[in-house]
Amino acid sequence: MTDTPQDLPKEAGHRLEELEHGLFTSDLSVNEFLLIKEVGFHPLGFVMGSSIYHTGIQTRKWRTSQELAKLTGAMYEARELAMTRMEEEAAELGADGVVGVRLDVNYYEWGKDAAEFIAVGTAVKAENGVSYLNKLGKPFTSDLSGQDFWTLMQTGHVPLGLVMGTCVYHIAHRGLGQTLGSAGQNVELPNFTQALYEARELAMTRMQDEAGELGASGIVGVRLEEKSHQWGSHTIEFLSLGTAVAKTDEPVTLPRPTTIISLDN
Amino acid sequence: MTDVSDAAPDLPEAAGRRFAEGAFTSGLTVPDFAACLQMGLEPVGFVQGFCVMQWQWYGMGSPFGPMGMPARGATTGYAESWQCPHGYVSAEHRSWGQNYEQSWVEEAWATGFTSAYQRMVEEADTVGAHGVVGVVDATAPLAGQGVLEFRVQGTAVRVADGPAPAGGPWTTYLAGQRLAKLIEAGYAPVSIAAAVASVRVWASCITAYLTEGTGQGWGRQPAGVEIEQAASAHMAVRRIAREHVRAQLGDDSLHGASLSASEREMGEGDAELQCVLRGNRVRRVKDFDPLAPPRPTVRLS
Repeated sequence: MTDTPQDLPKEAGHRLEELEHGLFTSDLSVNEFLLIKEVGFHPLGFVMGSSIYHTGIQTRKWRTSQELAKLTGAMYEARELAMTRMEEEAAELGADGVVGVRLDVNYYEWGKDAAEFIAVGTAVKAENGVSYLNKLGKPFTSDLSGQDFWTLMQTGHVPLGLVMGTCVYHIAHRGLGQTLGSAGQNVELPNFTQALYEARELAMTRMQDEAGELGASGIVGVRLEEKSHQWGSHTIEFLSLGTAVAKTDEPVTLPRPTTIISLDN
Repeated sequence: MTDVSDAAPDLPEAAGRRFAEGAFTSGLTVPDFAACLQMGLEPVGFVQGFCVMQWQWYGMGSPFGPMGMPARGATTGYAESWQCPHGYVSAEHRSWGQNYEQSWVEEAWATGFTSAYQRMVEEADTVGAHGVVGVVDATAPLAGQGVLEFRVQGTAVRVADGPAPAGGPWTTYLAGQRLAKLIEAGYAPVSIAAAVASVRVWASCITAYLTEGTGQGWGRQPAGVEIEQAASAHMAVRRIAREHVRAQLGDDSLHGASLSASEREMGEGDAELQCVLRGNRVRRVKDFDPLAPPRPTVRLS
Protein backbone atom coordinates (compact mmCIF):
# COMPACT_ATOMS: atom_id res chain seq x y z
CA MET A 1 0.00 0.00 0.00
CA THR A 2 1.51 3.25 -1.09
CA ASP A 3 -1.02 5.72 0.18
CA THR A 4 -0.77 4.83 3.87
CA PRO A 5 -0.27 8.07 5.75
CA GLN A 6 3.39 8.48 6.73
CA ASP A 7 2.31 8.67 10.30
CA LEU A 8 1.19 5.05 10.61
CA PRO A 9 3.47 2.02 10.97
CA LYS A 10 4.04 -0.30 7.98
CA GLU A 11 2.15 -3.14 9.66
CA ALA A 12 -0.91 -0.93 9.84
CA GLY A 13 -0.81 -0.55 6.06
CA HIS A 14 -0.73 -4.31 5.62
CA ARG A 15 -3.50 -4.95 8.11
CA LEU A 16 -5.71 -2.28 6.60
CA GLU A 17 -5.08 -3.61 3.11
CA GLU A 18 -6.52 -6.95 4.14
CA LEU A 19 -9.52 -5.19 5.56
CA GLU A 20 -10.12 -3.41 2.28
CA HIS A 21 -10.71 -6.78 0.64
CA GLY A 22 -13.97 -7.21 2.44
CA LEU A 23 -13.07 -8.94 5.67
CA PHE A 24 -14.01 -6.86 8.64
CA THR A 25 -12.94 -6.93 12.27
CA SER A 26 -14.78 -5.23 15.08
CA ASP A 27 -15.09 -5.27 18.81
CA LEU A 28 -18.84 -4.87 18.56
CA SER A 29 -21.08 -7.33 20.37
CA VAL A 30 -23.62 -9.20 18.24
CA ASN A 31 -26.41 -6.88 19.38
CA GLU A 32 -24.36 -3.79 18.58
CA PHE A 33 -23.49 -5.18 15.16
CA LEU A 34 -27.15 -5.82 14.34
CA LEU A 35 -28.24 -2.35 15.46
CA ILE A 36 -25.51 -0.65 13.47
CA LYS A 37 -26.58 -2.63 10.39
CA GLU A 38 -30.17 -1.64 11.16
CA VAL A 39 -29.42 2.10 10.89
CA GLY A 40 -27.65 1.47 7.59
CA PHE A 41 -23.98 1.28 8.57
CA HIS A 42 -21.52 -1.50 7.92
CA PRO A 43 -18.46 -2.11 10.12
CA LEU A 44 -15.20 -1.89 8.18
CA GLY A 45 -12.57 -2.70 10.73
CA PHE A 46 -11.17 -2.30 14.19
CA VAL A 47 -9.00 0.83 14.17
CA MET A 48 -6.62 2.28 16.68
CA GLY A 49 -4.11 4.98 17.29
CA SER A 50 -1.41 5.17 19.90
CA SER A 51 1.06 7.72 21.12
CA ILE A 52 3.73 7.31 23.74
CA TYR A 53 4.28 10.71 25.18
CA HIS A 54 6.78 12.07 27.61
CA THR A 55 4.50 14.23 29.68
CA GLY A 56 7.39 15.89 31.42
CA ILE A 57 7.33 17.62 34.75
CA GLN A 58 6.50 21.11 35.81
CA THR A 59 7.48 22.86 38.97
CA ARG A 60 4.59 23.79 41.21
CA LYS A 61 4.47 26.43 43.85
CA TRP A 62 3.71 24.78 47.19
CA ARG A 63 1.28 27.48 48.28
CA THR A 64 -0.35 28.39 44.97
CA SER A 65 -3.32 26.81 43.22
CA GLN A 66 -2.65 27.07 39.52
CA GLU A 67 -3.12 25.40 36.20
CA LEU A 68 -0.03 23.53 35.01
CA ALA A 69 -0.23 24.64 31.42
CA LYS A 70 2.67 22.51 30.20
CA LEU A 71 1.13 19.33 31.57
CA THR A 72 -2.31 20.30 30.30
CA GLY A 73 -0.79 20.81 26.86
CA ALA A 74 1.00 17.46 26.98
CA MET A 75 -2.07 15.50 28.08
CA TYR A 76 -4.16 17.16 25.40
CA GLU A 77 -1.61 16.84 22.60
CA ALA A 78 -0.95 13.16 23.37
CA ARG A 79 -4.63 12.23 23.22
CA GLU A 80 -5.06 14.30 20.09
CA LEU A 81 -2.20 12.39 18.42
CA ALA A 82 -3.69 9.00 19.33
CA MET A 83 -7.13 10.09 18.11
CA THR A 84 -5.73 11.52 14.87
CA ARG A 85 -3.91 8.27 14.13
CA MET A 86 -7.08 6.33 14.74
CA GLU A 87 -8.95 8.71 12.43
CA GLU A 88 -6.25 8.22 9.80
CA GLU A 89 -6.66 4.45 9.98
CA ALA A 90 -10.40 4.92 9.61
CA ALA A 91 -10.00 7.33 6.70
CA GLU A 92 -7.68 4.81 5.07
CA LEU A 93 -10.55 2.30 5.12
CA GLY A 94 -12.89 4.88 3.61
CA ALA A 95 -14.92 5.01 6.79
CA ASP A 96 -17.55 7.58 7.61
CA GLY A 97 -17.01 7.26 11.29
CA VAL A 98 -15.73 5.36 14.30
CA VAL A 99 -18.07 4.09 17.00
CA GLY A 100 -17.38 2.69 20.44
CA VAL A 101 -14.17 4.74 20.85
CA ARG A 102 -12.28 4.14 24.04
CA LEU A 103 -9.53 6.47 25.14
CA ASP A 104 -7.10 5.02 27.67
CA VAL A 105 -3.84 5.97 29.33
CA ASN A 106 -1.33 3.26 30.22
CA TYR A 107 1.86 3.50 32.24
CA TYR A 108 4.74 1.12 31.80
CA GLU A 109 7.61 0.05 34.01
CA TRP A 110 10.14 1.04 31.37
CA GLY A 111 8.98 4.55 30.79
CA LYS A 112 9.33 6.97 33.67
CA ASP A 113 7.29 10.12 33.10
CA ALA A 114 6.02 8.60 29.86
CA ALA A 115 2.53 7.39 29.20
CA GLU A 116 0.90 5.58 26.34
CA PHE A 117 -2.27 7.18 25.09
CA ILE A 118 -4.36 4.80 23.06
CA ALA A 119 -7.60 5.21 21.14
CA VAL A 120 -9.46 2.20 19.74
CA GLY A 121 -12.83 1.83 18.03
CA THR A 122 -14.72 0.27 15.15
CA ALA A 123 -14.75 2.09 11.80
CA VAL A 124 -18.15 2.13 10.08
CA LYS A 125 -19.42 3.24 6.68
CA ALA A 126 -22.90 4.20 5.53
CA GLU A 127 -24.35 1.63 3.16
CA ASN A 128 -26.40 4.13 1.14
CA GLY A 129 -23.32 6.03 -0.01
CA VAL A 130 -24.21 9.25 1.84
CA SER A 131 -21.12 10.83 3.37
CA TYR A 132 -21.16 11.31 7.11
CA LEU A 133 -17.74 12.98 7.26
CA ASN A 134 -17.79 15.94 9.62
CA LYS A 135 -17.14 19.59 8.85
CA LEU A 136 -13.37 19.06 9.01
CA GLY A 137 -13.61 16.33 6.34
CA LYS A 138 -12.73 13.62 8.85
CA PRO A 139 -14.68 10.53 9.88
CA PHE A 140 -16.83 11.22 12.94
CA THR A 141 -15.73 9.60 16.18
CA SER A 142 -17.88 8.76 19.13
CA ASP A 143 -17.73 6.77 22.35
CA LEU A 144 -21.32 5.64 21.88
CA SER A 145 -22.13 1.94 21.98
CA GLY A 146 -24.07 0.33 19.11
CA GLN A 147 -27.30 0.69 21.09
CA ASP A 148 -26.66 4.36 21.83
CA PHE A 149 -25.71 5.00 18.20
CA TRP A 150 -29.01 3.49 17.01
CA THR A 151 -31.05 5.47 19.55
CA LEU A 152 -29.29 8.73 18.70
CA MET A 153 -29.94 8.30 14.97
CA GLN A 154 -33.64 7.71 15.70
CA THR A 155 -33.85 11.05 17.50
CA GLY A 156 -32.70 12.82 14.33
CA HIS A 157 -29.19 13.59 15.56
CA VAL A 158 -25.87 12.54 14.03
CA PRO A 159 -22.56 12.25 15.91
CA LEU A 160 -19.83 14.64 14.75
CA GLY A 161 -16.90 13.74 16.91
CA LEU A 162 -15.60 12.74 20.30
CA VAL A 163 -14.72 16.03 21.95
CA MET A 164 -12.56 16.55 24.97
CA GLY A 165 -11.01 19.16 27.15
CA THR A 166 -8.45 18.79 29.87
CA CYS A 167 -6.91 20.81 32.64
CA VAL A 168 -4.06 19.76 34.90
CA TYR A 169 -4.31 21.68 38.11
CA HIS A 170 -2.15 22.01 41.18
CA ILE A 171 -3.97 22.54 44.47
CA ALA A 172 -2.10 24.63 47.00
CA HIS A 173 -0.95 23.11 50.24
CA ARG A 174 -2.39 24.85 53.24
CA GLY A 175 -0.02 26.82 55.38
CA LEU A 176 0.29 26.27 59.10
CA GLY A 177 -1.47 29.53 59.83
CA GLN A 178 -4.48 28.61 57.70
CA THR A 179 -4.67 25.13 59.19
CA LEU A 180 -4.62 26.49 62.71
CA GLY A 181 -7.12 29.19 61.81
CA SER A 182 -9.82 26.66 61.05
CA ALA A 183 -8.69 23.98 63.50
CA GLY A 184 -11.46 22.20 65.32
CA GLN A 185 -14.20 23.24 62.89
CA ASN A 186 -15.79 21.67 59.90
CA VAL A 187 -16.09 24.70 57.63
CA GLU A 188 -15.88 25.40 53.93
CA LEU A 189 -12.39 26.00 52.52
CA PRO A 190 -13.31 28.57 49.85
CA ASN A 191 -9.85 28.61 48.23
CA PHE A 192 -10.01 24.88 47.54
CA THR A 193 -13.58 25.09 46.29
CA GLN A 194 -12.69 27.94 43.96
CA ALA A 195 -9.57 26.21 42.60
CA LEU A 196 -11.29 22.93 41.76
CA TYR A 197 -14.33 24.67 40.38
CA GLU A 198 -12.18 26.76 38.07
CA ALA A 199 -10.22 23.71 36.87
CA ARG A 200 -13.34 21.77 35.97
CA GLU A 201 -14.89 24.73 34.19
CA LEU A 202 -11.71 25.17 32.13
CA ALA A 203 -11.78 21.51 31.07
CA MET A 204 -15.45 21.77 30.10
CA THR A 205 -15.02 25.04 28.25
CA ARG A 206 -12.24 23.50 26.17
CA MET A 207 -14.46 20.56 25.35
CA GLN A 208 -17.18 22.95 24.22
CA ASP A 209 -14.68 24.86 22.07
CA GLU A 210 -13.94 21.63 20.21
CA ALA A 211 -17.65 21.02 19.72
CA GLY A 212 -18.00 24.57 18.44
CA GLU A 213 -15.34 23.93 15.80
CA LEU A 214 -17.33 20.95 14.57
CA GLY A 215 -20.47 23.06 14.31
CA ALA A 216 -22.23 20.89 16.88
CA SER A 217 -25.62 21.72 18.32
CA GLY A 218 -24.80 19.84 21.50
CA ILE A 219 -22.74 17.30 23.38
CA VAL A 220 -24.26 14.17 24.87
CA GLY A 221 -22.93 11.76 27.46
CA VAL A 222 -20.51 14.24 29.05
CA ARG A 223 -18.22 12.61 31.58
CA LEU A 224 -15.96 14.49 33.92
CA GLU A 225 -13.04 12.34 35.06
CA GLU A 226 -10.42 13.09 37.64
CA LYS A 227 -7.06 11.41 37.80
CA SER A 228 -3.93 12.09 39.73
CA HIS A 229 -1.89 9.86 37.40
CA GLN A 230 1.56 9.78 38.94
CA TRP A 231 1.81 13.33 40.16
CA GLY A 232 0.82 12.94 43.79
CA SER A 233 -2.42 13.90 45.46
CA HIS A 234 -2.18 17.67 44.99
CA THR A 235 -1.99 17.60 41.20
CA ILE A 236 -5.14 16.47 39.45
CA GLU A 237 -6.11 16.14 35.82
CA PHE A 238 -9.70 17.02 35.03
CA LEU A 239 -10.77 15.46 31.75
CA SER A 240 -14.16 16.05 30.20
CA LEU A 241 -15.29 13.88 27.32
CA GLY A 242 -18.46 13.66 25.29
CA THR A 243 -19.88 13.10 21.83
CA ALA A 244 -20.69 16.24 19.86
CA VAL A 245 -23.93 15.86 17.92
CA ALA A 246 -25.86 17.89 15.38
CA LYS A 247 -29.56 17.95 14.67
CA THR A 248 -30.43 16.86 11.14
CA ASP A 249 -33.59 17.37 9.10
CA GLU A 250 -34.36 13.68 9.45
CA PRO A 251 -37.67 13.09 11.22
CA VAL A 252 -37.66 11.68 14.75
CA THR A 253 -38.50 8.02 14.30
CA LEU A 254 -37.97 6.80 17.83
CA PRO A 255 -41.09 4.85 18.77
CA ARG A 256 -42.78 5.67 22.03
CA PRO A 257 -41.43 3.30 24.71
CA THR A 258 -43.86 0.76 26.12
CA THR A 259 -43.62 -0.69 29.57
CA ILE A 260 -42.40 -4.26 29.59
CA ILE A 261 -41.89 -6.89 32.21
CA SER A 262 -38.84 -9.07 31.88
CA LEU A 263 -39.47 -12.77 32.27
CA ASP A 264 -35.82 -13.63 32.86
CA ASN A 265 -35.31 -13.87 36.57
CA MET B 1 -27.18 33.43 24.52
CA THR B 2 -26.36 34.32 28.08
CA ASP B 3 -24.27 37.35 28.88
CA VAL B 4 -21.18 36.56 30.89
CA SER B 5 -21.99 39.28 33.36
CA ASP B 6 -25.23 37.47 34.19
CA ALA B 7 -23.34 34.69 35.93
CA ALA B 8 -24.17 34.58 39.60
CA PRO B 9 -21.43 36.26 41.67
CA ASP B 10 -20.82 33.06 43.62
CA LEU B 11 -19.73 31.09 40.56
CA PRO B 12 -16.24 31.12 39.06
CA GLU B 13 -15.68 33.34 36.05
CA ALA B 14 -15.00 30.27 33.90
CA ALA B 15 -18.59 29.10 34.44
CA GLY B 16 -19.87 32.30 32.87
CA ARG B 17 -17.54 31.88 29.91
CA ARG B 18 -18.66 28.29 29.44
CA PHE B 19 -22.35 29.17 29.41
CA ALA B 20 -21.80 32.05 27.01
CA GLU B 21 -20.95 29.53 24.29
CA GLY B 22 -23.48 28.07 21.92
CA ALA B 23 -23.64 24.28 22.10
CA PHE B 24 -25.64 22.58 24.81
CA THR B 25 -23.88 20.00 26.94
CA SER B 26 -25.58 17.14 28.67
CA GLY B 27 -24.32 14.51 31.03
CA LEU B 28 -27.20 12.27 30.02
CA THR B 29 -26.67 8.94 28.34
CA VAL B 30 -28.21 8.66 24.88
CA PRO B 31 -31.30 6.70 26.07
CA ASP B 32 -31.91 9.32 28.78
CA PHE B 33 -31.33 12.10 26.25
CA ALA B 34 -33.85 10.50 23.88
CA ALA B 35 -36.40 10.14 26.69
CA CYS B 36 -35.95 13.80 27.61
CA LEU B 37 -36.60 14.93 24.04
CA GLN B 38 -39.71 12.78 23.98
CA MET B 39 -41.01 14.39 27.18
CA GLY B 40 -40.44 17.80 25.65
CA LEU B 41 -37.40 18.60 27.80
CA GLU B 42 -34.49 20.22 25.97
CA PRO B 43 -31.06 19.87 27.56
CA VAL B 44 -29.36 23.25 27.97
CA GLY B 45 -26.20 22.50 29.86
CA PHE B 46 -24.26 20.31 32.20
CA VAL B 47 -24.38 22.09 35.55
CA GLN B 48 -22.35 21.54 38.65
CA GLY B 49 -21.65 22.79 42.12
CA PHE B 50 -18.85 22.06 44.54
CA CYS B 51 -17.94 22.76 48.10
CA VAL B 52 -14.69 21.81 49.80
CA MET B 53 -15.00 21.43 53.55
CA GLN B 54 -12.49 20.99 56.30
CA TRP B 55 -13.47 17.60 57.69
CA GLN B 56 -12.38 16.47 61.09
CA TRP B 57 -14.02 14.18 63.57
CA TYR B 58 -13.10 15.85 66.82
CA GLY B 59 -14.56 19.16 65.86
CA MET B 60 -15.62 22.14 67.92
CA GLY B 61 -18.89 21.41 69.57
CA SER B 62 -17.77 17.85 69.86
CA PRO B 63 -18.34 16.58 73.35
CA PHE B 64 -14.99 14.84 73.34
CA GLY B 65 -12.77 15.46 76.26
CA PRO B 66 -8.98 15.57 76.11
CA MET B 67 -8.72 11.79 76.28
CA GLY B 68 -11.16 11.24 73.44
CA MET B 69 -13.78 10.08 75.91
CA PRO B 70 -17.31 11.30 75.28
CA ALA B 71 -18.78 13.39 78.02
CA ARG B 72 -22.12 11.96 78.96
CA GLY B 73 -25.16 13.85 77.83
CA ALA B 74 -23.25 16.44 75.77
CA THR B 75 -25.28 15.96 72.58
CA THR B 76 -28.51 17.76 71.92
CA GLY B 77 -30.05 14.94 69.92
CA TYR B 78 -30.39 11.21 70.45
CA ALA B 79 -28.36 9.74 73.34
CA GLU B 80 -28.65 6.44 75.14
CA SER B 81 -26.47 4.94 77.90
CA TRP B 82 -25.63 1.41 78.97
CA GLN B 83 -24.49 0.73 82.49
CA CYS B 84 -22.01 -2.02 83.38
CA PRO B 85 -23.86 -4.66 85.38
CA HIS B 86 -20.67 -6.16 86.79
CA GLY B 87 -19.57 -3.50 89.20
CA TYR B 88 -15.87 -3.68 88.19
CA VAL B 89 -13.67 -0.65 88.26
CA SER B 90 -10.60 -1.03 86.05
CA ALA B 91 -8.99 0.64 83.03
CA GLU B 92 -9.76 -2.37 80.81
CA HIS B 93 -13.37 -2.67 81.85
CA ARG B 94 -15.67 0.16 80.83
CA SER B 95 -18.23 0.96 83.43
CA TRP B 96 -20.61 2.45 80.89
CA GLY B 97 -21.26 2.76 77.17
CA GLN B 98 -23.10 5.36 75.14
CA ASN B 99 -24.71 5.94 71.75
CA TYR B 100 -25.15 9.56 70.77
CA GLU B 101 -26.00 11.62 67.74
CA GLN B 102 -23.11 13.71 66.38
CA SER B 103 -25.17 16.69 65.38
CA TRP B 104 -22.10 18.79 64.46
CA VAL B 105 -21.15 16.19 61.81
CA GLU B 106 -24.69 16.25 60.44
CA GLU B 107 -24.70 20.04 60.32
CA ALA B 108 -21.31 20.22 58.56
CA TRP B 109 -22.51 17.65 56.01
CA ALA B 110 -25.67 19.65 55.41
CA THR B 111 -23.62 22.85 54.92
CA GLY B 112 -21.31 21.20 52.37
CA PHE B 113 -24.11 19.47 50.50
CA THR B 114 -26.42 22.49 50.45
CA SER B 115 -23.68 24.87 49.27
CA ALA B 116 -22.74 22.55 46.40
CA TYR B 117 -26.43 22.03 45.56
CA GLN B 118 -27.22 25.73 45.56
CA ARG B 119 -24.26 26.46 43.29
CA MET B 120 -25.56 23.88 40.83
CA VAL B 121 -29.01 25.47 40.94
CA GLU B 122 -27.42 28.92 40.41
CA GLU B 123 -25.68 27.58 37.31
CA ALA B 124 -29.01 26.19 36.10
CA ASP B 125 -30.65 29.58 36.72
CA THR B 126 -27.87 31.29 34.79
CA VAL B 127 -28.57 29.24 31.66
CA GLY B 128 -32.30 29.87 32.02
CA ALA B 129 -33.15 26.27 32.85
CA HIS B 130 -36.52 25.14 34.20
CA GLY B 131 -35.14 22.06 35.91
CA VAL B 132 -32.15 19.80 36.47
CA VAL B 133 -32.44 16.08 35.71
CA GLY B 134 -30.12 13.14 36.31
CA VAL B 135 -28.51 14.71 39.38
CA VAL B 136 -25.52 12.83 40.78
CA ASP B 137 -23.94 13.73 44.10
CA ALA B 138 -20.81 12.44 45.76
CA THR B 139 -18.36 13.21 48.49
CA ALA B 140 -14.66 12.44 48.20
CA PRO B 141 -11.60 13.10 50.34
CA LEU B 142 -9.32 15.59 48.66
CA ALA B 143 -5.61 16.26 48.67
CA GLY B 144 -4.68 14.47 51.82
CA GLN B 145 -6.52 14.11 55.06
CA GLY B 146 -9.03 16.29 56.78
CA VAL B 147 -10.54 17.75 53.60
CA LEU B 148 -13.76 16.55 52.04
CA GLU B 149 -15.25 17.69 48.75
CA PHE B 150 -18.98 17.70 48.09
CA ARG B 151 -20.08 17.65 44.47
CA VAL B 152 -23.50 17.85 42.89
CA GLN B 153 -23.87 17.63 39.12
CA GLY B 154 -26.75 17.27 36.68
CA THR B 155 -28.15 18.26 33.31
CA ALA B 156 -30.15 21.47 33.14
CA VAL B 157 -33.24 21.24 30.95
CA ARG B 158 -35.89 23.59 29.62
CA VAL B 159 -39.50 22.62 29.09
CA ALA B 160 -40.32 23.31 25.43
CA ASP B 161 -42.86 26.16 25.26
CA GLY B 162 -43.33 25.95 29.02
CA PRO B 163 -43.27 28.81 31.50
CA ALA B 164 -40.41 29.10 33.99
CA PRO B 165 -41.28 27.52 37.32
CA ALA B 166 -42.14 30.07 39.99
CA GLY B 167 -39.66 29.01 42.66
CA GLY B 168 -36.55 28.56 40.51
CA PRO B 169 -35.46 25.36 38.77
CA TRP B 170 -36.72 22.00 40.08
CA THR B 171 -34.23 19.14 40.48
CA THR B 172 -34.40 15.37 40.47
CA TYR B 173 -32.06 12.39 40.63
CA LEU B 174 -34.20 10.78 37.93
CA ALA B 175 -33.64 10.98 34.21
CA GLY B 176 -34.89 9.20 31.13
CA GLN B 177 -37.73 6.74 31.25
CA ARG B 178 -37.92 6.70 35.06
CA LEU B 179 -38.69 10.39 35.03
CA ALA B 180 -41.06 9.97 32.08
CA LYS B 181 -43.04 7.31 33.94
CA LEU B 182 -43.20 9.44 37.08
CA ILE B 183 -44.63 12.37 35.12
CA GLU B 184 -47.06 10.07 33.29
CA ALA B 185 -48.24 8.81 36.66
CA GLY B 186 -49.24 12.36 37.58
CA TYR B 187 -46.28 13.58 39.66
CA ALA B 188 -43.98 16.54 39.11
CA PRO B 189 -40.42 16.64 40.49
CA VAL B 190 -39.81 19.36 43.10
CA SER B 191 -36.24 18.86 44.28
CA ILE B 192 -33.78 16.29 45.43
CA ALA B 193 -33.76 15.63 49.17
CA ALA B 194 -30.77 14.25 51.06
CA ALA B 195 -29.56 14.14 54.62
CA VAL B 196 -26.98 12.36 56.72
CA ALA B 197 -27.29 10.96 60.22
CA SER B 198 -24.26 10.23 62.35
CA VAL B 199 -24.29 8.19 65.56
CA ARG B 200 -21.19 7.51 67.65
CA VAL B 201 -21.06 4.19 69.44
CA TRP B 202 -18.91 4.10 72.56
CA ALA B 203 -19.15 0.42 73.39
CA SER B 204 -20.10 -0.75 76.88
CA CYS B 205 -18.27 -3.71 78.40
CA ILE B 206 -20.86 -6.20 77.15
CA THR B 207 -20.96 -4.71 73.62
CA ALA B 208 -17.16 -4.68 73.45
CA TYR B 209 -17.03 -8.33 74.50
CA LEU B 210 -19.73 -9.43 72.07
CA THR B 211 -18.29 -7.57 69.09
CA GLU B 212 -14.55 -7.74 69.71
CA GLY B 213 -14.06 -10.36 72.42
CA THR B 214 -12.29 -7.86 74.68
CA GLY B 215 -12.92 -6.98 78.28
CA GLN B 216 -13.51 -10.54 79.59
CA GLY B 217 -13.00 -11.63 83.14
CA TRP B 218 -16.51 -11.46 84.45
CA GLY B 219 -17.93 -14.82 83.47
CA ARG B 220 -19.28 -16.18 80.21
CA GLN B 221 -21.82 -14.46 78.07
CA PRO B 222 -24.27 -16.66 76.20
CA ALA B 223 -23.53 -16.98 72.47
CA GLY B 224 -26.08 -15.83 69.89
CA VAL B 225 -27.68 -12.95 71.76
CA GLU B 226 -28.65 -9.61 70.35
CA ILE B 227 -26.08 -6.87 70.83
CA GLU B 228 -28.55 -4.35 72.15
CA GLN B 229 -26.35 -1.30 71.93
CA ALA B 230 -25.35 -1.93 68.30
CA ALA B 231 -28.91 -2.78 67.26
CA SER B 232 -30.17 0.36 68.92
CA ALA B 233 -27.53 2.52 67.18
CA HIS B 234 -28.38 1.05 63.78
CA MET B 235 -32.06 1.74 64.27
CA ALA B 236 -31.44 5.24 65.57
CA VAL B 237 -29.15 6.30 62.72
CA ARG B 238 -31.74 5.27 60.12
CA ARG B 239 -34.55 6.90 62.03
CA ILE B 240 -32.64 10.19 62.34
CA ALA B 241 -31.81 10.22 58.61
CA ARG B 242 -35.49 9.71 57.82
CA GLU B 243 -36.50 12.48 60.20
CA HIS B 244 -34.03 14.93 58.63
CA VAL B 245 -35.34 14.19 55.13
CA ARG B 246 -38.97 14.28 56.23
CA ALA B 247 -38.37 17.76 57.64
CA GLN B 248 -37.42 18.91 54.10
CA LEU B 249 -40.52 17.52 52.42
CA GLY B 250 -43.39 19.75 53.51
CA ASP B 251 -46.62 18.30 52.12
CA ASP B 252 -44.84 16.50 49.27
CA SER B 253 -43.82 12.88 49.06
CA LEU B 254 -40.49 11.18 48.65
CA HIS B 255 -39.98 8.98 45.62
CA GLY B 256 -37.18 6.51 44.86
CA ALA B 257 -35.49 6.83 48.23
CA SER B 258 -32.18 5.09 48.71
CA LEU B 259 -30.54 4.60 52.05
CA SER B 260 -26.89 3.75 52.51
CA ALA B 261 -25.28 3.08 55.87
CA SER B 262 -21.61 2.75 56.66
CA GLU B 263 -19.50 2.16 59.74
CA ARG B 264 -16.13 3.66 60.56
CA GLU B 265 -13.82 2.40 63.30
CA MET B 266 -12.54 5.35 65.30
CA GLY B 267 -10.66 3.36 67.93
CA GLU B 268 -11.09 0.42 70.23
CA GLY B 269 -14.73 0.05 71.18
CA ASP B 270 -15.42 3.35 69.42
CA ALA B 271 -17.20 3.56 66.07
CA GLU B 272 -19.24 5.99 64.00
CA LEU B 273 -22.34 4.89 62.14
CA GLN B 274 -23.32 7.08 59.22
CA CYS B 275 -26.42 6.85 57.13
CA VAL B 276 -27.23 8.88 54.00
CA LEU B 277 -30.79 9.00 52.74
CA ARG B 278 -31.46 10.39 49.26
CA GLY B 279 -34.66 10.68 47.32
CA ASN B 280 -36.79 12.79 45.05
CA ARG B 281 -39.29 15.18 46.49
CA VAL B 282 -42.32 14.95 44.19
CA ARG B 283 -45.73 16.60 44.12
CA ARG B 284 -48.95 15.24 42.68
CA VAL B 285 -50.16 17.52 39.88
CA LYS B 286 -52.90 15.43 38.33
CA ASP B 287 -54.99 12.40 39.17
CA PHE B 288 -53.49 8.97 38.97
CA ASP B 289 -53.65 7.63 35.46
CA PRO B 290 -52.52 4.01 35.41
CA LEU B 291 -49.92 3.07 32.83
CA ALA B 292 -50.75 0.50 30.17
CA PRO B 293 -50.20 -3.05 31.45
CA PRO B 294 -46.60 -4.12 30.80
CA ARG B 295 -45.82 -6.47 27.93
CA PRO B 296 -43.88 -9.59 28.91
CA THR B 297 -40.54 -9.93 27.14
CA VAL B 298 -37.66 -12.37 27.06
CA ARG B 299 -34.15 -11.18 26.29
CA LEU B 300 -32.11 -13.14 23.82
CA SER B 301 -28.80 -12.29 25.47
